[in-house]
Amino acid sequence: MESKVSTPVIELIKNGPMRISGNYSITDEKNNKISEGKEVYLCRCGKSLNKPYCDGSHKSNMLDGNQEKESCD
Amino acid sequence: MESGERKYKNKDITVYWKPSSCIHASTCINELPTVFRTNKKPWVSMEGGSTDKIIEVVDRCPVDALTWKYNDQEKNDGIGNEHPNHVKNRRKTLLTDDSDFDKAISVRMINDGPYIINGSFYLERENGVRTKFNGTVSVCNCGRTKLPPFCDGSHRIG
Repeated sequence: MESKVSTPVIELIKNGPMRISGNYSITDEKNNKISEGKEVYLCRCGKSLNKPYCDGSHKSNMLDGNQEKESCD
Repeated sequence: MESGERKYKNKDITVYWKPSSCIHASTCINELPTVFRTNKKPWVSMEGGSTDKIIEVVDRCPVDALTWKYNDQEKNDGIGNEHPNHVKNRRKTLLTDDSDFDKAISVRMINDGPYIINGSFYLERENGVRTKFNGTVSVCNCGRTKLPPFCDGSHRIG
């Protein structure tokens, strides 16, 4: 039995996507595999044209529930 | 923890592999080639030898590339200098390592709904605070939730 020592991390990027660092697999609703790997940025704003992956489209949207406008850069 | 590190487990012990420390003394592959295998992946097979023999050979690694500990924490308490490559003597921080084994995070995409994320992982918030999760969470991917990062069903509205 082999394993990476580190536990995977899902990092929520402020007003941006979530970054998964660690082994992951992505499936569709019917559990068909879409991709797998060790690092990925997933869209959280719904605007990506390349879902589930982030394509930078969030830069005009808010994610964290705050009403104030902030730059995403 | 550096990237590239691995750990290998049988019912008794966990062996840690830190490739950046290896000086290729080759003690492990010469003494116990059924466990430490140069031509296979994963290169360590815990089924290839007895626990006692694995401990003996890991203890002879001249650096901290290979270290080990008992899975039963109480047994680690009694370890002294007789086991030079027990984690206590080489890499003390690993004494408390209990990270989960090998299971990838699975992300299931629900049509017009959230990500269903299952596994054992840390969730790191925007402010840097990490929380350990073990199980299933549902994460918003439409940007409408009032409870970020989690789905609150708002995707159904409008």
